[in-house]
Amino acid sequence: MTYAFTALFGFAFLLLILLAWVLRPPKRVSRLDTAEGLTEFSDRTHVTFFPQIKQALAVQDSAYLSSRGRNALANRVRKERRKIALAYLACLRNDFQMLWRLGRVISSMSPQVGTAQEFRRLQLGLAFSLRYEMIRIKLLFGFAPLTDLGALSEVVSRLSIRMETAMQDLGERAAFAAKQASSLDGRGLDVS
Amino acid sequence: MAGMSLSVQSVWACSILAQLFGLTLLLLRRNASKIPFFTAYIVLNLCQAGFMLVLGLIPTLSHATYARLSWLAEAITLLAQAVATTEILGLTLRPYPGIWGLAWRALVAVSSLVVLILVWVTHARGIGQLWFQLNRGYHLTFATAVIACLALVRYYSIRVPSAFKMILAGFCLNSCVEVLVNTLIQVLFHKGYAVYQAAWEIVTMISFVATLTIWIVALWKPFPVDDREIASRSDSTYRRLSPEINERLREINEKLLRLWKMEARPE
Repeated sequence: MTYAFTALFGFAFLLLILLAWVLRPPKRVSRLDTAEGLTEFSDRTHVTFFPQIKQALAVQDSAYLSSRGRNALANRVRKERRKIALAYLACLRNDFQMLWRLGRVISSMSPQVGTAQEFRRLQLGLAFSLRYEMIRIKLLFGFAPLTDLGALSEVVSRLSIRMETAMQDLGERAAFAAKQASSLDGRGLDVS
Repeated sequence: MAGMSLSVQSVWACSILAQLFGLTLLLLRRNASKIPFFTAYIVLNLCQAGFMLVLGLIPTLSHATYARLSWLAEAITLLAQAVATTEILGLTLRPYPGIWGLAWRALVAVSSLVVLILVWVTHARGIGQLWFQLNRGYHLTFATAVIACLALVRYYSIRVPSAFKMILAGFCLNSCVEVLVNTLIQVLFHKGYAVYQAAWEIVTMISFVATLTIWIVALWKPFPVDDREIASRSDSTYRRLSPEINERLREINEKLLRLWKMEARPE
């Protein structure tokens, strides 16, 4: 019986913590969470910097330095370029998160929402976070093939292009919704 | 009522005054018409207090009958609390019918799960314990459902009017404190419910007064104009884009996984 009481007590205490968590004010309002921010998505993707990153990660430079007997310099270059790869990986994560948030905005604006779709996206977000951390650790220890970041970038790039049309569509819809909202004065929770 | 200690009576009087003040604010600020079920809940609470007062003045009333009638009145106000909360949640999510549809399904699922767990872990011995445990089970289920709904609202970055947020927070806080107090006092005192009745009464009443104070702050000003954007009338955008976004997210995830396994190949 005591275990049941402890569990109940703990659960109630956890609920109080959760209540404080869900009621805390948001840190910042992302521009993507607003209708105006939707159209900026395609301009803010970091994939466009891939050619520079690719060049920075080219193995030929390091190989050349090693062949010239400058191993210390080659190691230093590798370390610095690994830092660049890590920063780039973080940018890819930003792109993923923006896309993820975009999905939530679309859901909130839709009159019908599919539970399976929403659950799937939540699952994907959690999986991405986990994998991102694992890859980051691998990069930190120098285990991961840096050039394979290109494959990731391509995916995000193709995605941003395909989403561009969708952004435009959503922007138009948001403008329509804003007009509808302004025409609602005098209805709902208005104050005289 | 005559059996109450002076301290309990004082807190009880404070709660009555706070409820009357809250009701006056609801009427003066013309918020009562916007949240009629919440207003009805406050009125029912006041009626419950009056009912208890009348019961306490009847000398021939047995303790068992008094307890049964008290719990019955409590059950009615708890039902009104659930309806008032649903009203507030409905108003919060009114511009988002899709999310509201998702939210109520989530509420049913979460509530059912909590009820099942409670049935499994609690065992009542006698009618006195049964009432207490039903009360605790209700509050636990209620708080879990509301917090789940608020979490969903936060996840979708839905802007909630601060007055509504405070009203919901008050309900949740009161329920959580009820559960904590019920459980803690029950663990601390094994001798019987009569021993800790006074302690239970004063702590739950103080919690309710705190909740009323939060509501008074929320009701101090008239509710603001609801200028939130309404959802689009068609769900074709969602049906078209949502699977595509999920598919792309899945692709990025797969690439990450291949990178993790060092199997990634240029496309």
